[in-house]
This record gives sequence, structure tokens and C-alpha cells, in this order.
Amino acid sequence: MKRYLFIALAAGVAVAACKDNPTAAPIDAPTTAAIKTLTPASLQQLAIGVTAQDRAAYASTAVLTLPEILARDVYRIDQSEPRYVGETLGGQADPGSFAGGGGFAAFYTAARAANNILLLLKTASPKDFSAQDVAAIRGFFRTMKALDYYRVIELRDTVGAPLQTDNDLEITPIYCKPHVLTYIAALLDSANADFATAGAAAVLPFNLPGGFTSFGRDYGIVGNLIRFNRGLKGKVDFYRAIDRTAPQPALLTTAIAELTQALGGAAPGAVSGAALATGIYYRFDPVVDKISNLRSDSKIAANPKLADSIPTTDARRSKLVSRSTLSGQGLSSNLTFSFAVPTSANQNLPIPLLKDEELVLLRAQAYIEANQFANALLDINAVHQTYNATPVVPFATVAAGRSAVLFEKRLSLLFEGPQRLVDLRAYGLLNAAHFAAELPSDPYNTAFPIPRAELNARNLTVNPVCTP
Amino acid sequence: MRKYRVLALALLAGALFSSEAYAQQQHRIAGKVTATGSGEALANVAVTVVGTTIGTYTAEDGSFQLLAPAGDQTLLARRVGFKRSTIRVASTQDQVAIALERDVLQLEEQVVTGTATTVSSVNAANAVAVVSGEKLNRVPAQTVDNALQGKVSGAIITQNSGAPGGGTQIQVRGVSTINASFSPLYVVDGVIIDNSSIPNGLNAITSAAGGTSPSSQDQTVNRASDINPNDIESIQVLKGPSASSIYGSRGTNGVILITTKRGRAGKTSLDVAQRFGTASIANKLKLRCFKTGTEVDDAGFDSTGFGAATNKCHDYQQELYGENPFNYQTIGSLRGATQSGTNFFISGLVQHDGGLVHNDNYNKQSLRVNVGQQFGSRLNLRANSELIHSLTERGVSGNDNTGINPYTTFSATPSFLELRRRPDGSFPIGVGAVQGNNPFQVAEQVKTPENVYRLLGSATGTYNIIVADRQTLDLIAVGGVDSYGDNSKIIAPATLFIEQANALPGTIVNSQGNIVNANVGTSLNHRYTTSAFQATTSAGFGQNRRQVDVLATTGHGVFPGVTNVAASTQVVSTEQQDLVKSLSLFAQEEFLTLSERLLLTAGVNSERTSNNGDPKKFYSYPKFSASYRLPWLPPVTDELKLRLAYGRAGNQPTQGKFTFLTSLIEEGVTGYRPSTVRGATKIQPEQATETEGGFDLTMFGGRGRLSATQFRKQIDKLLLQATVAPSTGFNSLFINGGQIVTHGTEVELALTPVQTGLVQWNSTTTYSSNKGKVTQLPVAPFIPQSGSFGSRFGNAFVQQGQLITVLQAVNGCTALNSTGTRCPAANRVLKFIGNSAPDYQMGFNNDVNIGPIRFSSLVDWRKGGLGINLTNNYFDSDPGSGSMLADTAVSAARIREFRKGRAVYVEKSGFVKIREVTIGYELPTDLTGRLFAGRVGTARIDLSGRNLKTWTRYSGLDPEVSNFGNQALGRFQDVTPYPPSRLYYLTVNTTF
Repeated sequence: MKRYLFIALAAGVAVAACKDNPTAAPIDAPTTAAIKTLTPASLQQLAIGVTAQDRAAYASTAVLTLPEILARDVYRIDQSEPRYVGETLGGQADPGSFAGGGGFAAFYTAARAANNILLLLKTASPKDFSAQDVAAIRGFFRTMKALDYYRVIELRDTVGAPLQTDNDLEITPIYCKPHVLTYIAALLDSANADFATAGAAAVLPFNLPGGFTSFGRDYGIVGNLIRFNRGLKGKVDFYRAIDRTAPQPALLTTAIAELTQALGGAAPGAVSGAALATGIYYRFDPVVDKISNLRSDSKIAANPKLADSIPTTDARRSKLVSRSTLSGQGLSSNLTFSFAVPTSANQNLPIPLLKDEELVLLRAQAYIEANQFANALLDINAVHQTYNATPVVPFATVAAGRSAVLFEKRLSLLFEGPQRLVDLRAYGLLNAAHFAAELPSDPYNTAFPIPRAELNARNLTVNPVCTP
Repeated sequence: MRKYRVLALALLAGALFSSEAYAQQQHRIAGKVTATGSGEALANVAVTVVGTTIGTYTAEDGSFQLLAPAGDQTLLARRVGFKRSTIRVASTQDQVAIALERDVLQLEEQVVTGTATTVSSVNAANAVAVVSGEKLNRVPAQTVDNALQGKVSGAIITQNSGAPGGGTQIQVRGVSTINASFSPLYVVDGVIIDNSSIPNGLNAITSAAGGTSPSSQDQTVNRASDINPNDIESIQVLKGPSASSIYGSRGTNGVILITTKRGRAGKTSLDVAQRFGTASIANKLKLRCFKTGTEVDDAGFDSTGFGAATNKCHDYQQELYGENPFNYQTIGSLRGATQSGTNFFISGLVQHDGGLVHNDNYNKQSLRVNVGQQFGSRLNLRANSELIHSLTERGVSGNDNTGINPYTTFSATPSFLELRRRPDGSFPIGVGAVQGNNPFQVAEQVKTPENVYRLLGSATGTYNIIVADRQTLDLIAVGGVDSYGDNSKIIAPATLFIEQANALPGTIVNSQGNIVNANVGTSLNHRYTTSAFQATTSAGFGQNRRQVDVLATTGHGVFPGVTNVAASTQVVSTEQQDLVKSLSLFAQEEFLTLSERLLLTAGVNSERTSNNGDPKKFYSYPKFSASYRLPWLPPVTDELKLRLAYGRAGNQPTQGKFTFLTSLIEEGVTGYRPSTVRGATKIQPEQATETEGGFDLTMFGGRGRLSATQFRKQIDKLLLQATVAPSTGFNSLFINGGQIVTHGTEVELALTPVQTGLVQWNSTTTYSSNKGKVTQLPVAPFIPQSGSFGSRFGNAFVQQGQLITVLQAVNGCTALNSTGTRCPAANRVLKFIGNSAPDYQMGFNNDVNIGPIRFSSLVDWRKGGLGINLTNNYFDSDPGSGSMLADTAVSAARIREFRKGRAVYVEKSGFVKIREVTIGYELPTDLTGRLFAGRVGTARIDLSGRNLKTWTRYSGLDPEVSNFGNQALGRFQDVTPYPPSRLYYLTVNTTF
């Protein structure tokens, strides 16, 4: 009898062991699956995750430095890293290098992070978030997602870009630029509708970084987010309107209206002076945030031709300073930017994400394309006379208008992103007819390729023909 | 899975419902077992009646008695250390005398075949390496791993540096993984113990890995080093899945089974061993001696002070590493049993090993209590426990990016400069190219204590449910825990020159690791014995839980003398936690028949673990084996056994299951976004399948044994990091895929060339070789995650069709620059240089006993293999730019070639080492009687040495070093390591 008792005991222990919970939740770090319900606390953390990732993606060589090298404003001469020249002014960007592979994955990571919050919104409890809160949150992260897609397509241009779906491992086609811009425009409109639902007076139910709230306007208020959203939409619609392969001139009116809304309904020429600096900025902190403004770099120089373009009477001339001669790979310069001098202050210097000065000049560009030269001149002068005593001479042709606005935009947004590259490309100016070759092998690159990692995942070796 | 469960149930049911014992007339047999030659009575000899389960053990005086079935019977007597013996007993005979011959070649051992089953090595189907405690401890070693070096064929055992306290990697039968666990499983008395290497935070002052967080370059110690080698009765190494499948998803890398000593019947013995020793630097770089001030100037240094220097040719290595420490080990153990059925083994150890640098040392104290108790005739309980404390202070060595390593300073300091402490207590500074460091100051002021307090405990209960003439059924329950706290500190005071360069001088790292391994298991073992066969059926389950929590806090800006990290101006903390739960179900059948000539084994272990993508899914690890001892043999042959084994084991996926949230800080606020490594919800264990075959040949009346084994090990479902399209928002995803196939050969030849009454010479030679190739790789070729310094110097590389141990480096240039002196980055040609692993490894072990004198030696030979000597790169420079190596021409030529894209730092790393030498003398009993007033039974004096001599073409300090410590691939990086040491010991062993 005793023996069967022992056998039964052993069997019982075995059964008990099998019934033990076999799972072990990860305790070392949070996981996406661990967030079952979006709460105000988790939303706050995830929101900072999106904005911080977007900042990290933006504050990169591929977004800040390389496009400005292609736009003939900036040199980076480094004997130990010759690709800053070899893959920009001296040849094609290698899709496997930082030059050809940058400015891509990090934005998609940011977009995925934004989408993660959008999906989690379904789990938000009404006790934690009102319907207006949910709409405001949705509007904000849709806008951020649209911004990240736009960052990719402005660097890739006609090469195209993929678009994510809610299936997080789905590899979508590489869509052509018109398709991508149309998608971004729709996303921004959806976000705008969300903001409308939330109401202009509503406030985001989480705290944004100071870069969103401390530069003349608090973008935690939905009314101001609408201005941000419309500013982006106006920018997208303007470039859709003048797209060289599939122009949609009808969108010029839309863009003007959107940009006017982004400027708070301000009439042409009404926004000037210190108000131009109002906007959203990326702020840097090498100590606490472990991220610095990478323009603060001893290997950076200004393209010497830049000095010839800026009259000494223009206050923006102060952005250029002398430096010890930096030369190599056929380039040489003894100029740099005041904000590129390696100093602690420059490492902390904010960079605008979108400021009113850019919106004013974008509206001027739209007026020019719409042949509304007087309005365009008002906006151009609003900027120009902030830095100069004398106004811009009136113009009567689109070409002259473009020239005038490009001058202002170059100086006002100097080394603040790919805006000049986008404009030169859109106007068809980035070629030998308009710029002397920087190097004998200057290919006049206008865009960057699909990165090698993306090609590998698609079993491709070269950029595919994009999907319309 | 289901079919295996059905098989397990069938086996168990068959065992339980087999025929009951049958009553018959009994035959009382009594006798005595003695040793052949000496006539010494042998206790603890197992005497069994062949064809039955009836058996007993001999008492202290060698006597035994048992009740056998009526009729003629055959008795089998066996004991570890002696050859088995059978004797025919007639039905009318009731007294027998059995003599057992010493098994000097270890022809017969009990080797593990299951969780609670063993089989004699005479029948074993696997080549299980068995190392006895005596062989292990012949020469004192700081750690068990060190003591195993050169003693296990098929295992490459390598110490990462000469720093005291271990840091050793064991790799059995080649590379078995790329990204999963690469350490063999350590099991002590049935308890799985932890062999982690916990970084101590040295990186905070070396910045070897950049930043300040603890890293793999912290010159870590693997924690198996805590075990006291002197407590070990024997070690068995299950080399591959064909033997280790019973350990399921932790068996791929082999299993090291450690059995500690137990109490035994007979007179209680007190053994005391006192060891005294010292160490000296075993190898130094040949550095330059500047003979004139002009020579100093020509080398690009400032010769000011040359004329006044009293010593123009400092040997900095000798000055810093010239400490000849006083080492000691005191070991005492009490072993015996009581009449009431209690047996016990109690031991203690106090050990101190100094390093080559003043203040570096390794200290260990341990107390072990193993107690067994028999309750009645059916229940036996055993409890083993060991409490260990170790304190390791390993100083600063290995790669650094702050200039703190001694060799960094030596590489830039002309020999006439004095670096040692001045009489006023200050240290010279501002010398050489490295302005900011003085290694003598570092040695004196930087503290690196690592305190480990560890408890190993296990309890085993065996209940004989059925005991009959023909069958037994035992219930065996085992439970145990391995728990330790690893408390490390790095203290670099603000007074250090190297700290004064920091914005916040004064660094403290406080690292607290808490690791717990616990496992419980229960099995039912049924043995059914007839005159035709013996069938052993076992089934049961095991549960394992592992919990890790390592918290490291780094503080900067600490006042001199303060050791409280909380007093720092700036504090950064990191924490790593882990929890793993596993459950296994197993069943096994062993069938021994044809007069114990044929052994067939089949078994399966099914296991689930929380590390798997689906934690509820069981993965099965079957095994099958057969061995056959041939009945027909040539004249000089005693025994020839053919064996074949097949088995499967796994390796748990240790990463990649979850999509973690990565933290980012914006404006001081922490946020989270999904990691770029996408979680793989279907991740599963790597799968290793091994087929092993070979033979064991015994010759010349037991004076010769030749074992040869061939194996093929195939690793499938490798844990690989696959690149995914970045447009998804992720960069990679862990997948199961790819395949590594390893073929290997192991040969062991044991001989007793001389065996007389006075002289006995035993010689064992081992040979092993293996090569693993990547036969499938579903991802793009890649450099593994393990540490390296890039392809300019050389790194591991994983590519289909290549050896898994291949070394890749830049070695060629499509076009040099315009001056012909450098190879531009774009023109460098990557090549596979060769195999980083040895072609083969041999061990030569010789023991010669001449009366009371014993001499033993162990020589370790590794043929082939490659290492990367980055240490030379620290010293190499152009003529006039100050190479500090004595041969400046070679040094200059090397750096010139390096710039041209040649793999000049890849070197052949084969070697021959005299690992161990011992000369011992056993004092005559009449002398010990006079000396110790008759209280001492035996006394022996041993003079021994470890790592006494190395022959190698490798130009660095030691071809075995690994800057990144233990890692699956690419451990061949040599960066300014702690020099190797020779160890000498004088030991007095006494038995009371």
C-alpha cells in the first residue's frame, strides 16, 4: 500500500510541476506588449519617445549636413572620412554608407512609434481620456507621422519611399513621390479633422518638450497644433503643386490658404521681425539627453561661394565667420558658420523644426507660382527687411520671384535642413547650367538612394522603379 | 511530442506492473574483499549477485554478507579505483575471498546516463571524460577550470589573462552557437549552478568599450571559479548532445558534472593539507633599453634627465609585475560515518593567491558539509552544502581608451625615466607620450575588490519502494539551490593622475549582483534483473528557475577617501534583470543483456522554458545508444567495446523574444519608443544533434587502454539576427535558421609501461581535433556581436561555406596611395586569414611512482590556431617615432606593412605548455610515527608547479589571452593583458 502511496505522491508532484505557470514576464525593460491600456502616464512616456526619436532622426548628418553639401552651402572635409565629399560633390552616394543609407530608418522608427500610440488609443479608457483628448492625441501623432514620412521623401525625391501599415512587419512597395505626398496630405487632413473634433481651445493631455512650447507659441494647445499641421500641409501642397513630373497647379491656392492659416491668418507681409522666429525647435543637451547639435564640428566649413552671395549689409551675414583653412579632396575654405564653431554653447543650440520665417517664405513661393507677385513681395520683404535696411526690388516674372525668394530662404534657413536642396531641385536649378561644378566629377546629386539594408530585405541590388 | 509522452508512460507502466518478486530458498554468503598485492581490506565495495538486484557494501574491514538465491551464484565486486571482479560461488560454499586489482588507468567508472541513472564505463556508449579529484588536485589551482586544463580531450580550456582569480572559458567539441549561451552547463551534486561572468564596472575608468557602463571588457571572472576543487570526488564531462540530451535545452555546450566527496564507512579520517607557494611573471615583452641621450632624442622623446638618471634601463614590467607573492592554501577535511547510518564529509579551505602586482590577489574561504543518513532499510537522505566567500582584486589590465593600462604607459616611456613611487609618497608624472598616467600609482591607489558570498545546497532523498530479488523501484527526489551575491567596487580616487583629466575627478562603481538558480526534480527508477538481461527504466520531471539582478551604480566626482557612491557629484545606474523558468519531463530505458555485453539505451527529455517564444510548448530531445563488448578477441586484448550514440540537445533562445521599449531622454524627461529589434514570438531553442561512435580497447592485462571517438555534431535553428526592411520601423529580428556542422576526433591512450613492486609508470596521452563549418546561413554574412576591433586587425566572421572559427582581416590593397605608404580605406581587401581554432590539441600526462617518491607531469600542446596581437600595435611606430620594442626594425616594418593593408597583427597562436609538474615524497610511517607521536597515518610532501614553461611562436605575452573574456566566437583578441604567471607550491599532506 505504501509503495502506491509514494507513486501517487510522485505523480501528484509531477502534475503540480506541469501546472506551474511557464511564462516569465520580462522584468528587465518594458515591452510593447506589456502596455495593455494607454494611461496618462504611459502616454506621456510614449509621446516623449516619439518626439525624441524624431529629434534624433533629424539631428543627423544625413538630414542636416549632406543635403546642405548638395545645395552648395556646406563642406565637410575630413581626411579620415572622405565620403562627405566623395559621395556628395565628388560622386554618387553609396546606399550602404552613412551617406546613402542615412535619413531613412530612424524616421520610420519614429513613424512606427507614433503609430504604436495611435493603435494603443483604442485601449484608452474614457475615465482617463475624454473624446476631445483622444482626438487631440490622434491629431498630434498623425501629424508627427506625416512629418516623418515627409522627411524621408524630401531626401529621396523621385526615388520614392515605402509607407507603413498597421502590420508592423509588412514591407510595402516603394511608392513614387506623388503617391507619398498625396498620402501625407491625406494624413495631415485627417489629423486636422481630429484637431477640429478636439477643439482649438483644447490642450494635449501630455506635456510636450520645451522645444514645442518655449519658442513664442505653445503647441500643447490644439489651436496652435492646427497651425503646425496646416503649415506642414501647405508645404506639402506647394511642392505637389509645382512637382516637375506631376504638377498640380490647382493646389497653389490650397497651399496659400493653408499657409495663411498656419500664420494665424496674417496678411501678406504682416509677419516680420522677431515674430519670424516663432515655431517649433529641436533642443539639444549633450550631458543630460546625450545628443548635441552636430553642426558644431571642426570639420565643417562654409562653401566659399556663399560669402559672395551675402551682402555685408545683411544682418544674416553674421552667420558666416572665418576659420583656419580647411582643405582636402579638391575643396578648400577658410569660412565656417558661427554656429559650427565647436563650442559648448553651439552644441546646445536649438534647430528649428518649423518656424514662421519658413512659412512666410513658403507662402511667398506659392504666391510667385500663382503670379501674385505683389503678395509675394510683401512676404519676401517682411523677411528681407528684418535683416536689411532696403527692401527687395519688385519683380515681374516667376523666375525673378524665385530668385528673390531663394536668396531669402537660403540665408534665413541656412544649415537648418534640406529646404534649399528641395527648392533647387523643385525649380530645376541643380545642374551645371546654374552652378559651376564643385569638383570635376560633380554629379549634381539631387537625392539619396534607397539604403542597402532596405534593398537587401527586398532582394534588390539597385533602386527599383517606384510604384505610382 | 505526444509520441514521446506515450513512450514515457508505456515505459513507466511496464516497470510498475512487471512481475513481483518471487519467493525462493536463500543461500547465505559471507566474505571479505581485499586489494591485490597489499592485501589491504577494502571498504565500500559493492558486492552484487549477478542476475539479481541483491547486493551489499563491504564494511570497514572489507567483510560482507548477503542472502543470495539458492544454487550456484556469481558475485560481482566493484569499487571506484579498482577493476571489477567476478567470482563463482558454489551452492555449498558460504565463504569467499575476493581480491580487487587497482584500476590505475581508470578502466572502470560509473558514468552518468540519466538524471538518476549511471552505468559502468565498461558498458558506456559515450566517451564521457572522467577526472578524479586526485588527478584534479595534483597541482594546486586557483579554480576548477584551471585544474581541468589539459585533462579533458575535446575541451579547449583557456584562461583569459594572468590576473589572479580565474576568468576561464571551457569550450567542448567546438563552437556550438553564435548568439546563445556558449558555456557548458555546470552541475554540482545534481544542482545546476551559475557560471555567469558579471562585469565589475572597470570600463568606468578604462573606457575600453566607450562610455562608462559595465562591459565585456571588464576582465571578468566566470563564477564556476568559486567551487573549491579540493572538495571534488570526480568530474564527468558529457561532451555533446549524444550524452547530454538529458539536460535538454541547456545541454548543447556539454555538461560538467561535479560530484563532491561524501562520507564513507570506516574509520573517520582527518586530512589536512598545507600549501605554501609563490608566483612569478612567466613572460615579458622584450622592451627597449635606451643607452644614450641621443638615442632618446632620435626616437622622438625628450632626453632631459637622461644623464642624471641612475638607472637608464628600467625594466618596467619587472618593476610592476615583479611581485613574488606569498601564496597559501590550508585545507582540512573530516570524513567518516557512524554506526547509526550517518555519513559525513566536512571540509574547509582558506586560500590566498597574490598577483604579480602589489595589491592584486585572490582569496577564497569555503566550508562544506555533506551529510547522508540511512533511515531503516529503504530511505536514504543526503544533504550537501557549501558556503563560499571569495575576494578578488585583479587590478587594471586589458584594453583601455584612457591610458590607464600599464602597457599603454610602457609603450611610450623611454627606459631611463623612473616611474616608481618617490620617497615622499608622490609619483612621477609627465613622462613619455602618455602624459597623464602612472601605472605604479594606479596599482597602489585603484581598488578593484569583488566579493562573492555563495551558498550551494542540495538535498537528495531516495526511497526504495520495491526491493525484491529481481526488481527494485526507487523514488528519487533532488532539490537544490545556488545563490550568490557578487559585490564589486571600482575605486579610482581623485588623486589619480588619470582622474584629474576628468571634469569630475574621482570615480566609484558599485555593482551588486544577485543570482539564484534553483532546481527540483523527481524520478522513478525501476530495475528489473534476470539472468538474461537487466532493464532499467526511469521517468520523472525537473523544474529549474534562474533569477538574475545586477545593479551597477557609477559615480563621478568623489572626494578622495570616500567610497560611498551616493556621495558622488554625478551618479548613473544601470540594472539588468532576468527570470527564466523551465520544466522538463523525461523517460529512459536501459537494456543490458548478452552477459552484460550489449547495452541499449533509449530516452527522451521534453522541455519547455519561458525563454521560448511559446513558453507552453514542449521541445523534445531524444537519445539512442548502443554499446557491445566483443566476445572474441586477439591474444593481447582484454576487452574491445564498440559504441554508437545519437542524441539531441538544445540551447535556449536568450534574446529576441520581446519587442522592448527603448528609452530616450528629451530635455531631461525619459520617454520610450519600440525598439528597432522586433520581438520574435515564435523563437525557439537552437537544436543540436550529435552522432558519436568509437571503440574502447583494453590490452596487456589492463596495462593499456585505447579509446577513439568520432563525432558529428549538427546545430540547427541557430539564433540569428536577421535584417528586416528598415521601412518597417525595425532594423532586425531574431530568427531560427542556419546550420553549423562540426566533425571531430578524440583519442585517448593510457599505458602502464612499467609496473613492478617498486616502480609504476602510468602515461596518458589525449588527442582531439574538430572543425565546424557553417553549412547553411539564411541571413547575409556577418561579423558576430561578440567583441572585436574590426577587420583591420581581424575578427570572427560568419559566412556559409566557411569555418565557424574563421578569422577575417584586411590583408591586401588594390592600390596604395600616391606615396605608396598607405592603403586608402576603399582599397583594402578583406580576406579569410585562416582558422582561429587549433588544428588539434594533445595532452601528455605521466605519473611515475618509485616507492614513496611520485613524479607527475602534464604537458599541453595546441597545434595551430590564430591570435590577434594588438598589444604590438601599442608599441609599433616608425623609426624616430619611438617604438619601445627592443627590435625596433621589426616593429617599424610591421607598422609600415599594417598601413599598407597587411594583416600583420594576426599571429599563429599554437603552443606547448608544461601545465603541471609535481614531485612528491611520502614519508615512511616510522618517521611520521616519530614526528607526530603516532597521530598521523600518512604524510606526504609535494613540490609542484603550474604553467612553468611555454614554447610558442606567438610574440605576445600569452597566446591564450582574451581581451573580451568569454565569448562564443572571436576570443583571440590580445590587448595589453595581465601577464601570465608561473605558480610554485610546496604542499604537506597529512592524514590523521
